[in-house]
Amino acid sequence: MKKLLLACLIFAGCETANYAPQITSRRHDVDLQKLERGRNLFVHRCIECHTLPPIWKYSNEDWPKIVNDMSHGASLKPADRDAVISYILAARKQQ
Amino acid sequence: MSKRALSIFLLSILPAACAFAGVRHFDFLYEAPTSAPGSVEMENWITWKRGSDPRFDQIDIRHEFEFGVTDKFQLSLYVADWNYHSPDNEGFTFSDVAVEAIYNLSNPVIDPVGLSIYQEIRAGDRLVEWESKVIAQKNYGRWIFAYNATLEAVWEGADLDEREGEFTQAIGASYEISPRLSVGVELLHEFVFPDWKDEENIRNVFVGPNVSYRRGNWFVTTGVLAQATDTRGEADFQWRTIFGVGF
Repeated sequence: MKKLLLACLIFAGCETANYAPQITSRRHDVDLQKLERGRNLFVHRCIECHTLPPIWKYSNEDWPKIVNDMSHGASLKPADRDAVISYILAARKQQ
Repeated sequence: MSKRALSIFLLSILPAACAFAGVRHFDFLYEAPTSAPGSVEMENWITWKRGSDPRFDQIDIRHEFEFGVTDKFQLSLYVADWNYHSPDNEGFTFSDVAVEAIYNLSNPVIDPVGLSIYQEIRAGDRLVEWESKVIAQKNYGRWIFAYNATLEAVWEGADLDEREGEFTQAIGASYEISPRLSVGVELLHEFVFPDWKDEENIRNVFVGPNVSYRRGNWFVTTGVLAQATDTRGEADFQWRTIFGVGF
């Protein structure tokens, strides 16, 4: 029973991490710290009001406008907003 | 208008003014995420409880101010808790004030389980209550699952000489029909210990549906619980509505 519960938790972690995957790029022009901050803001602030939409649901052109329109409600400063957008675009590219 | 364009439009305007600490998807359970630092929200609660005696009616009202302190910590101040009891028929009377703190440990999306710890202290001239809670939550797409384990110690009466302990487990599930609307179900299982003894073996189970709607900088969540056990002296029916607005 414990092994089944542990397996469910691991699966759950993997399954829902797809909604906000970690950036693993080794490219020299990628600021991993900024992208990680963007990811943290995405998963913490957005879920205060609604569930997270999959990042593949909207295009690269749609996401900046969506994040900009929601930034006030999510208490995102301009640098935070930029980090979230950068993260989402990088995560889409990675998939 | 294409479906994609419509959904982008709706998503864009939805929380154009969702400038508040957070939406409640449940009425009787807490959720793990805490409010963004600097956010301020006011929530007003009203709970109507009715017992098997038709003359029994109780209405509890709470006014809460919620403050996001850090990314993981929020504080709330309940500036006035009021209640109305029948058949005492004393009208509305002031009960207590309360302070609540929630600290978030993990995230319900990217971590296996979202966890937070909760502490509340209530105090009035005839009531002191100490409440500790572990909050667990997991999000799967449009689904939110929550679990609370709560331990309460209550001192009541003119000399605070009536003591009671209570352990409650609560679970809930909520489904987001649209970015504005969620529906769900909640279940509470209470173990009540009058005078911190289990001689009376009081166990109560309550279950019922809820609905949550949000728009702009406000939300309203309403839910009903019916008693599934047969404990006399406990409410047969509870209806709670929480209205929140962000500043």
